Amino acid sequence: MKYNNGVYSLTLKTQLFQYHEKNSHLVDFADFKMPLWYEGVGPECLAVRNNVGIFDISHMGRTFVSGPDAEAFLNYVTTNNVTTLRSNHAQYTLLCNSEGGIKDDLVIFKLGDSQYLVVFNAGNREKDFNWIQKNSKDYKVELKEASNETAMISIQGPKALATVQKLTTTNLSETIRFDCMFAEISGKECILSRTGYTGEDGVEISIMNASVNDPSKAVELWEDILKAGKDYKIKPCGLGARDVLRLEAGMCLYGNDITESTNPSEARLGFVVKVDKGNFIGKEAIIRKKEDGIKIKRVGLRVIGKGIPRAKCKIIKNSENIGTITSGTYSPLLNLGIAMGYVPIEHSNEGNKVSIEVHGKLIDAEIVGFPFYDPKIYGVKRNS
Amino acid sequence: MNVEDYEVPEGLYYSKDHEWLKVESDVCRIGVTDYAQKSLHEVVFVDLPKCNIDVTSKQPLGTVESVKAVSDYFAPIRGKIIEVNDVLSNKPDLINKNPYTEGWIVVIKPENLEEIKVLMDSTKYTELLKSIIKE
Repeated sequence: MKYNNGVYSLTLKTQLFQYHEKNSHLVDFADFKMPLWYEGVGPECLAVRNNVGIFDISHMGRTFVSGPDAEAFLNYVTTNNVTTLRSNHAQYTLLCNSEGGIKDDLVIFKLGDSQYLVVFNAGNREKDFNWIQKNSKDYKVELKEASNETAMISIQGPKALATVQKLTTTNLSETIRFDCMFAEISGKECILSRTGYTGEDGVEISIMNASVNDPSKAVELWEDILKAGKDYKIKPCGLGARDVLRLEAGMCLYGNDITESTNPSEARLGFVVKVDKGNFIGKEAIIRKKEDGIKIKRVGLRVIGKGIPRAKCKIIKNSENIGTITSGTYSPLLNLGIAMGYVPIEHSNEGNKVSIEVHGKLIDAEIVGFPFYDPKIYGVKRNS
Repeated sequence: MNVEDYEVPEGLYYSKDHEWLKVESDVCRIGVTDYAQKSLHEVVFVDLPKCNIDVTSKQPLGTVESVKAVSDYFAPIRGKIIEVNDVLSNKPDLINKNPYTEGWIVVIKPENLEEIKVLMDSTKYTELLKSIIKE
């Protein structure tokens, strides 16, 4: 519940709410009314894997961090090494609590010397901002919460770059994955990045000065991108497709697959924890946990046969409950049930057969690696 | 009969859980309504019960699932399941295409056919849908 101008409002709306209300099936997500699907989750997922899709991600949290201590400050609150992040490049990283549990997973965009944009999960907007603000006291930094003053649109799929290229003079073929920069798109001042949450190549665009109270810029750009992608059969995509696509790619959803009690190594996110950099929140706990030994691990599970595993289903091996599903869905691309969950290390080998208890029945599944799709055919590493 | 986009054929009986029941002499064919299938959208999996089992009224029989939603369906009447629509295993989307015909789920031989009286007719079910849509 949000307190706004003297009244409590149950739901927030993004700059593109009117479009969603008219064209989609809405869902409540992290205090927002968001599109669940427009045409349908299946066709939207396939549009992103085969062509291009567009998502409203304005509900995500955006905070600008600047000032002489910006780098040192971000190194202290996040786990990845911000010193190695060059200008015009982005970095996937984590916020951890002092026990080494994950407060959020996020992306830091370095826009220039001592100038960063930090993008949080929608559900953690306030929590994260308050947390980093609380920990900024000893640093000369300025934090500017910009979630309501900017909009954010994601264009994903093998035709995403070609679509956006039609609207900007910035040469996208000269960029690599995770590059980011200020760019004028369709005449609007934006921050553009080669990032996403689908496993596909794509672009995320933050539109500057596009307040929720004056959404015209965001609406115009959304419409322009839909027009630019028309030849590629672009489809607007909702949160349903977004969740399936990230799961197919093996990416975590905060709140489901990672929480404040998840250690990064258990979640197989140790690659963004740089214990050899200076001090950061959670460092000691993370090192201690590693020395004690990691006992459980996040794995992919592919259903053999029929059935769709869902979050909270039990994972069973030799009649013993060995773990829990944290995300599960039906993959329209693979035409079968896929899931991720945590199991003891000794059961985590790829190829290991387990059962999942779904609505009181046991279904067979196999532990598999990420992504779930063939990376030679789909995703950023596809043979083009 | 239609309520907005939702089809409600006359001559069928309806439950509050959005199942339909069609009396075929002494047995009842059962499925989910047009409203139920449209709410779920894109049915991708139907968990079917076993044949020849006795069920009580309102007993959960299985699930109808879309990519992002799961919905239980229940026995609208007491009796024995005598037939299951196995075609749905490979073509679950028949529930979206033809919820009242090819998308049927089970056939139950009721213990006492008189018990269908607790269900709604198409007029009453139409009223229920209208009240749901208003919300």
